[in-house]
Amino acid sequence: MSETYDVVFIGGGPGGYVGAIKAAQLGLKVACVEGRGALGGTCLNVGCIPSKALLHASHLAHEAETNFAAMGLNAGPLSVDVAKMLGFKESVIKSNTQGIEFLFKKNKVAYVKGWGSIAAPGSVKVKGEDGSETTLAAKNIVIATGSESTPLKGVTVDEKRVVTSTGALELPAVPKRLVVIGAGVIGLELGSVWKRLGSEVTVVEFLDHVTPGMDGEIQKQFQRSLEKQGIKFILGAAVSGVDASGADLKVNYTLRKDSSTASLDADVVLLAVGRRPYVSGLGLEAVGVALDERGRVKTDGHGRTNVPGIWAIGDVIAGPMLAHKAEEEGVSVAETLAGQKGHVNYDVIPGVIYTDPEVATVGKTEEQLKQEGRAYKVGKFAYVANGRAKAILATEGFVKVLADATTDRILGVHILGPQAGETIHEYCVAMEFGAAAEDVARTCHAHPTLSEALREAAMAAAFGKPIHS
Amino acid sequence: MLKPMSCKLLVIGAGPGGYVCAIRAGQLGIDTVVVEALRPGGTCLNIGCIPSKALIHAAEAFEAAKAAAEANNPLGISASAPVLNLAKTVEWKDGIVARLTGGVAGLMKKAGVKYVSGTARFENGETVIVATDMGEQEIHAENIVIATGSVPVEIPSLPFGDRIISSKEALKLSEPPEKLVVVGGGYIGLELGTAYAKLGSQVTVVEAAPRILPLYDAELSAPVARRLAKLGVEVLTSTKALGLSPDGASLRVESEETARSLPADKILVAVGRKPHFEGLGLEELAIDMEGRHIRVDDRCRTAMRGIYAIGDATGEPMLAHRAMAQGEMVAEIVAGHKRAWDKQAIPAVCFTDPEIVSVGLGPEEAKASGREVKTAFFPFAANGRAMTLQSEEGFVRVVARADNHLILGIQAVGAGVSELASGFGLALEMGARLEDLAATIHAHPTMGEAVPEAALRALGKALHI
Repeated sequence: MSETYDVVFIGGGPGGYVGAIKAAQLGLKVACVEGRGALGGTCLNVGCIPSKALLHASHLAHEAETNFAAMGLNAGPLSVDVAKMLGFKESVIKSNTQGIEFLFKKNKVAYVKGWGSIAAPGSVKVKGEDGSETTLAAKNIVIATGSESTPLKGVTVDEKRVVTSTGALELPAVPKRLVVIGAGVIGLELGSVWKRLGSEVTVVEFLDHVTPGMDGEIQKQFQRSLEKQGIKFILGAAVSGVDASGADLKVNYTLRKDSSTASLDADVVLLAVGRRPYVSGLGLEAVGVALDERGRVKTDGHGRTNVPGIWAIGDVIAGPMLAHKAEEEGVSVAETLAGQKGHVNYDVIPGVIYTDPEVATVGKTEEQLKQEGRAYKVGKFAYVANGRAKAILATEGFVKVLADATTDRILGVHILGPQAGETIHEYCVAMEFGAAAEDVARTCHAHPTLSEALREAAMAAAFGKPIHS
Repeated sequence: MLKPMSCKLLVIGAGPGGYVCAIRAGQLGIDTVVVEALRPGGTCLNIGCIPSKALIHAAEAFEAAKAAAEANNPLGISASAPVLNLAKTVEWKDGIVARLTGGVAGLMKKAGVKYVSGTARFENGETVIVATDMGEQEIHAENIVIATGSVPVEIPSLPFGDRIISSKEALKLSEPPEKLVVVGGGYIGLELGTAYAKLGSQVTVVEAAPRILPLYDAELSAPVARRLAKLGVEVLTSTKALGLSPDGASLRVESEETARSLPADKILVAVGRKPHFEGLGLEELAIDMEGRHIRVDDRCRTAMRGIYAIGDATGEPMLAHRAMAQGEMVAEIVAGHKRAWDKQAIPAVCFTDPEIVSVGLGPEEAKASGREVKTAFFPFAANGRAMTLQSEEGFVRVVARADNHLILGIQAVGAGVSELASGFGLALEMGARLEDLAATIHAHPTMGEAVPEAALRALGKALHI
């Protein structure tokens, strides 16, 4: 190759494509290698965006079933045309991914189609669809290859009856019985979609609680709330395998408390036990890029691997596997490469679950603070005392603010409630400023909004008492 | 005559300003009495913000169900055409109002506040007489807070009654009027007009100014105007309402070009609100007025020692959350805390379709203050979450000083943006600069991602446009 890129991103997901655009905006010569045939990675193609499209589409069914009668509305029974719903989802994906291609052109990022690997530091090999091979010369290489669904022993995925999130986004019909293995974000969001559309959903989880790592109180109430919607949970259960030999799928599991075994019949099984970094076939071993004990690319906290000129961002490195975390890392590395001081504040990364009600969280959980031995105070406020929540029939859930006992500095915020994913941002801004709970408590919040509940929780933390409870 | 009472703090009016003031005072251990002629919660809870939002929500749901009943809806959910029972919707709304006002009464009780039901009249600066069901109650107080709120402005040629209604009556109609004319294209008129258009009324809006929502800039109001057109709402701007036609069945309106008569089953007059002091005996006090409202200083003190005024009684902006913040402050001042009004931002929200939010200064206001400004917007059409929600109309806009990037204002128009307002307010309170918002991680995929993008764009380049 005659031309040398300043930086080549391997992977066109949220980390890679955003990093590439930012680097180009900062004047670098940039290429982004992607073999999927579309930009946007897991997030836009088979993750966040399509799942939210289905959650939106199925939301009306849920509203009609649970809330219409109370409001004096009668819509009769609803019917669902899954093919059409999937068509809506596809149209959203397409306009998103094509949007990125447009952004690449606009910012002069070279979009190289094919699967990339590192031939040597400074050299990226790209294998095209047709088997052709090209080599890109690059001063810097950024590994942004993302993650893939973690397999489970005894469970063979065919993406038809036994599916990962990818297959669960394209089921041709509403399964009568859906068993979800894993009570994490993905399992619960997609379980919710199909529950709303009429499936009987059972979630089997290895641990004794849902959404591992989240604040304990949120976990409990969240599970209760999903159970009220009819989702069943079997916790503390190790799935030993899925028997796909008969007409019905059989999910075999062992209860951890007494080692008893049982099985569940299912029409579709969704395997959602987590995601693992995608590092195979990248040639990392040959160039000597070190991995950590969990198979993630090791970095110095600023995206540098142990090999000079090779960087890594997103799901392939440590930290929460979230698109916005990857994007921020992409921007940070781009800034560093352009001679600026790139930085990611890992203490303030929000996480959202788009169920109904939503879950949103940022900062430390109560359990983490206890473990650290930090003195903290808790402010809580329930949506049942919020006017807007009442007016939109969404009073389930609460806001929990954790603040330092002496300085009042906000340490963590955990929300189960309507539109939690949008309202939490005020606390992200607050935490970036090192705000105290009193700062939020003294900020005028518009009435009537759900956000008022967030302020009341801050008042409860700062002053010991909210006004409205 | 009942036995006279005395207290440290007397609050006249139990609307958002008054009840919050009373609760906060009670929490701080102050001996507090609150007087209210109607139900606790004021206009906001009983006949304003809350019931209107319930009606708006029902109308949105009805609209969504109607869309699902159409053959070509893209989502693949279908249903038979929905049927509306507005009387039942109103009953549902009344249930919410009853729960909330009952809740407020309970909160006041819990905080140790005494509640006196009746109409208050000043005897002098320390004494108030309340006309209650059981006779006159005299109350002496060291501190008195006037929190009497506001009432709709009446147009002399269109007095309320019969088919001419205010927002209060518009919230308890038993069925959608076939033809609804809304006089006043401000937020109250448009919120209710939009709801009724969705519920099946044929709606016409008459606005004297050259465009709707004259208090917001044209960039912000344009998406709302587009949506109104799509809903089939006729908007007559630069048009004055003159009065009823001789048969009383139409509204006569006039613009520079033409005069028309608009047939109307109901005429909703929503041309603004004015402070409510009727029967209060303000003339017994030595306080200063400023036009129609009471003049207060940065501690909500009137010209008379020991008398405070908060909320709509103190003029614009007539917003519940401003009243609440003032009420809290006064309670703390009476408790001896050092407090003054130092809010950098009071968000204003329009629950139209799409919603509008404005916090701080708009581009024109910022320029008018003599500063050089940078402004940029990020459209929801380039936001993934908006696409999944079928809500691509609208944008987030930031306004900042050109020299040091200090954010002066943030505005947004779009579905659900009312819930972004708090983040905007907090950014202004914290003295955030464009770089601060650009560097705050916003969750993906959310509408909120448009905020750092707008900031980035103001700094030169957004990532996603």
